[in-house]
Amino acid sequence: MSQISEAPGNHGSLENDNAGGEGSGPLLPPPSVINLTEKSLAIRLRRDALARHTVTFGGMAVICSILAILFVIVAEVYPLFKKPTSRHLLAFNLPKDAGKPLATAVDEYRETAVIFTTSGALMADLKKGTIIKRASIPGIGGTSVVSASSSGKDSFILGLANGRAVTVRAQFNVSYPQDGQRKVEPEIDAGEPVVVDESGAPLNLTHSVEGERGLVIVAATGPDELTLLTVKKSKSLVDDGKTQTVATRLSIPIEGVISELELDSRGEEALAGTSKGEVVRLNIGDDGSLQIAEMIKAVSSQNARITVLGNLLGDRTLIVGDSNGGVSSWQIVKDKSNQLRLAKIHDFTPHSRAVTAFSPSLRNKGFVTADESGEVFVRYGTSGETLLRADSAQGPVVTLTMAPKSDGIVCVDEKGSLHHIEVVNPHPEITIATLFKKMWYEGYEKPEYVWQSTGGTDDFEPKLSLVPLIFGTLKGTLYAMLFAIPLSLLAALYTSQFMHPSVRSFVKPAVEVMAALPSVVLGFIAGLWLAPIMEKATPGFFLLPIVAPAMILAAAFAWKTLAPLRLRSRIMSGMEIVILVPTLIAAGILSFWMGGLLEWSFLGGDYRQWVREAMGLTYDQRNSLVVGLAMGFAVIPIIFTITEDSLANIPPHLRAGSLALGATPWQTAIRVILPAASPGIFSAIMIGFGRAVGETMIVLMATGNTPVMDWSVFNGFRALSANIAVELPEAPEQGTLYRVLFLAALLLFMMTFFVNTLAEIVRLRLRKRYSSL
Amino acid sequence: MTGGALAFCLIMVTGLVALIMANGLGFFWPGDIYRFTLKDGREIAGQLVEREQIPGSDTNVPGGLFRIKVKQANRDLYGTDFVWIDESAITKKDKPADAILIHRREWGDFIGVIVEVTDAGKSVAKGPQEGLKFLKSLLPQADATLAAIYAIEKGDIGQINYRQDALRLEIKKLEIKGEGARFKKAGIEAQIAELGKQYAIQSARIDELKKKQTANVKLTAAGGVEKELPLQTVVRVISPNTEGVIGKTLIYMERLWEFLSGDPREANTEGGVFPAIFGTVMLVLIMSVIVTPFGVVAAFYLREYAKQGTLVSIVRIAVNNLAGVPSIVFGVFGVGFFIYFVGGGLDRMFFPERLPAPTFGTGGILWASLTLALLTLPVVIVSTEEGLAQIPKGLREASLALGATKFETTWRVALPAALPSIMTGLILAMARAAGEVAPLMITGVVKLAPALPLDGYWPFVHLERKFMHLGFHIYDVGFQSPNVDAARPMVYTTTLLLLLIVVFLTLGAIMTRNRLRKKFAGSAV
Repeated sequence: MSQISEAPGNHGSLENDNAGGEGSGPLLPPPSVINLTEKSLAIRLRRDALARHTVTFGGMAVICSILAILFVIVAEVYPLFKKPTSRHLLAFNLPKDAGKPLATAVDEYRETAVIFTTSGALMADLKKGTIIKRASIPGIGGTSVVSASSSGKDSFILGLANGRAVTVRAQFNVSYPQDGQRKVEPEIDAGEPVVVDESGAPLNLTHSVEGERGLVIVAATGPDELTLLTVKKSKSLVDDGKTQTVATRLSIPIEGVISELELDSRGEEALAGTSKGEVVRLNIGDDGSLQIAEMIKAVSSQNARITVLGNLLGDRTLIVGDSNGGVSSWQIVKDKSNQLRLAKIHDFTPHSRAVTAFSPSLRNKGFVTADESGEVFVRYGTSGETLLRADSAQGPVVTLTMAPKSDGIVCVDEKGSLHHIEVVNPHPEITIATLFKKMWYEGYEKPEYVWQSTGGTDDFEPKLSLVPLIFGTLKGTLYAMLFAIPLSLLAALYTSQFMHPSVRSFVKPAVEVMAALPSVVLGFIAGLWLAPIMEKATPGFFLLPIVAPAMILAAAFAWKTLAPLRLRSRIMSGMEIVILVPTLIAAGILSFWMGGLLEWSFLGGDYRQWVREAMGLTYDQRNSLVVGLAMGFAVIPIIFTITEDSLANIPPHLRAGSLALGATPWQTAIRVILPAASPGIFSAIMIGFGRAVGETMIVLMATGNTPVMDWSVFNGFRALSANIAVELPEAPEQGTLYRVLFLAALLLFMMTFFVNTLAEIVRLRLRKRYSSL
Repeated sequence: MTGGALAFCLIMVTGLVALIMANGLGFFWPGDIYRFTLKDGREIAGQLVEREQIPGSDTNVPGGLFRIKVKQANRDLYGTDFVWIDESAITKKDKPADAILIHRREWGDFIGVIVEVTDAGKSVAKGPQEGLKFLKSLLPQADATLAAIYAIEKGDIGQINYRQDALRLEIKKLEIKGEGARFKKAGIEAQIAELGKQYAIQSARIDELKKKQTANVKLTAAGGVEKELPLQTVVRVISPNTEGVIGKTLIYMERLWEFLSGDPREANTEGGVFPAIFGTVMLVLIMSVIVTPFGVVAAFYLREYAKQGTLVSIVRIAVNNLAGVPSIVFGVFGVGFFIYFVGGGLDRMFFPERLPAPTFGTGGILWASLTLALLTLPVVIVSTEEGLAQIPKGLREASLALGATKFETTWRVALPAALPSIMTGLILAMARAAGEVAPLMITGVVKLAPALPLDGYWPFVHLERKFMHLGFHIYDVGFQSPNVDAARPMVYTTTLLLLLIVVFLTLGAIMTRNRLRKKFAGSAV
């Protein structure tokens, strides 16, 4: 020993002494036995230490990388559930002489803003907090602006004091004069003023959209009177540029006065809010006529006046805000009598004071509202949740704009100070509720679980409920297990208890090959070969589990009673399978024949029609039955192998004891072996379950992949795993869908990990029990 | 009863394998061409595909209730490759001796009768017999011309394009760095221009070669439609009705070889699967190279070096369970970590001139291999650990007692003894990797890769490239192909190939394991 410790660079040697023992005591040999120089010994020891460190490091690294899988996935999912945050970037006072602020517009980089006031427009630099320039609205002469309302991205309509209205547009010209330096120059652009109120009274409430129907303006020209104006430029080549104006006036039978207006972006529908809390929905005809479609009470409290009306992106959700601070969302839904009516979808967390301003997001179904006390709320239409409360202004908020990228808010309060708030909220559409609860989506008649991640249009509402996918996964697993469990358990029981060892050495590799079959092969066979056959002969498939056992029993009976003794003795006990294979093939043929017969005599010749008429189910060619069979096929070898192992490992004295007491082999198997091995069987089923849950290719290829929630055997489904495989390649990195798919993967991971751990623990306990027997 | 369940399983396995064998192997056999004359006077010529009972028809009436599916080919003339004919509608069925089957480079097969063969507008052979003879004699030359054009396109022009791209990237790189850019840029631009000239020369050569392609063959398809095919679109001419068994076997072998070594045609539904085989093999090899050392080191650590305690057994359970985690989850990890995190990072560091087009920040064979390596890691670890556990304690103790250090014991005693089980684990891992598709779908497998991940351009191995894979080929051709009916036989063949690889590997693993067991059973100390 002393010699070793003298060797240079051998700090590890003593440790080595301890670590290397592994329970077999100090193992370093006396140096005299091995004829080696000190130097070579030192080298050897150093090499040993090096190896130990390498292996330890390598091993740790591998284990860590395994853990990293979980962490990476969790890290990708985490931002979905991170609470949105806001930061008050800037506040500054607008010049006192610039008039009362009415509306604001922001560029997409949030560098500049345009504020429309009663006396013109202000261009502000949002970085420095300064006014870049002031401009007056061209073409309106000396009259002042009395009202403004947004009519889409960066466009507004201004109501003038002389009964006219003018459309204006804020333009942000982005240029890159120097390398990497972005410059945004705001500008305004106005249309021709249009006479709306011939009496010349100030237009305090007006709204407009410009679309296929031309410019549509709606304005309140009296306490209960609406004026609709459509200005259309004729497109014919002859009289190019001529405009055609149609004006309609309509008195609406309301109790209070009109307090708020809104138009949809196609100019087909107008909405008016009243001081008594009613919302009037009016249809605009092609000819520019106005017609009341419905009137409803839209606020819960009595004396609330409607202060905010606005559509979310896509015009399918209406947001109503009132003077008591209530905010609710509404959609047009078919009611019981098949009439289209506004129905309340969500009540949002109320403001403490009257709602004064609203701005929809231009990217998603989010919006912001502000109130008299200066509170600003960021909300989301689909989920009905209020995501963020951003305190900002000191007094009542007059105007509010959500930035084009939905990453900021600019608002102006009554005192004329402008606030710039940054909002960090990359995944507003995701909350626990939208993922796992029923949601009332736009265009649906009731709350439902829906998975529909992409749509054709920009204003598409993503429907990211994981429930149909989880349902699909469980449905496929259930059918697979229904098929696999009985077969594999019985087969394992037979193999371990009754089968002749010489046959067993055949069967086990066969089953292992079965386990190794790539799932893409199974999926292909299931989708392209089995599914069409199944479509033709489903009744036969249903008969098989009845016919086959009956045939087997019959064959066994016949064998026992009819077969000559000579033949029976030649085929050893445990080789029954030789007879069973032809029996089963016969059973298969018989049941398909009978299936055809059954279809003819009882199901009217076409079972699919029968299924549709008698059971009210539709038949998909690639259905759960096909998946169940194919996935069952994939799971059978797993359950089989583990069950067979646990059955074969049962201490032989149990079996011997039972047999010695006079029990038949069957009684022994059922009463002794099975109960003893039941934990092993349980763990086998669990592991099989885990495999079925995560199976991707079979599900992808053998179902129609429609995310429906329906237990029918004849329908397909969409599973979590297949959904990931289909949608991940198209999901933009770091986007909401991308993260939701990671969440789906995390769910799969947890499901299988949990199930497998459970199985493993049960198995370990079982092993202990065996050793104690 | 219990035996019945087992028998059922066995029937399913053998049935499945038999089904794939039958369908896969039959694909290349040239079937006879029949001519059906129908009651309404139509004539249809084609190969018999299948016969089935007409759905919804009464089973009790004998005969006349079956219909047959005929591959009539000539997609460009009839619109579909396949046609169903009610047997009751057929008045005459015969095998015309002059009917021939032509495999074309586009539009699938052609079935018809040769009218004449022309060269540069002049008729050189008339009639079916003479035409066929002439056609067959002309084909080798046409193939040679085509091969020459292909060689120029892929070889010389490919080289020029490659170098031009490289130079353009060089310019971008200089611009990003901003150092003396203008001077160097001029030089590079001159080089690009020079390459452009070379390109013109090469394309002139191609035009020259194309002028040689003057031969045409005129055929009549069933129903009397005439069609003239340029000779360069013809891959192969078969006259199945006059070939004997030996001739057909030769054609069979030729097509089998084309399948194994050729490039795909017609959106993968015809031709060969060589790129897919190559991709699969390369994928599995890279994966093996990665997984073996790591798996073995981890197993040695767990079994030999780590202190055996609760922590290690927890780790062991975790590793075991990892084997049960769905493969798609590994794929998702591969996308999140390898592709976007590591790959994206590499791109920003080393290939800024190519951005925003990603180099490593997108799916590729390296990331797919790494993902699969992670997926198969538990297999190797568990198998190696098992092997280590089976080494009789005496062996190890003897080595230590003789004065060997732990490393020496591990290296000289434990490793060799565990080698067979490492091999078993590796083979199982390879079998699993070869058959796995789901994680590949999101980490870099593609329907049709423009280039193999291994070629003649520096650095020869292109790990960032996307690749083709047999398993994905099955999924893609079988389920995403526009013409599934025509593609199906091909998919069966691919399936058979994949199945052979996987089953062969698995059986190899089983045999290795059995031998190992016997060895240790004999040498137990």
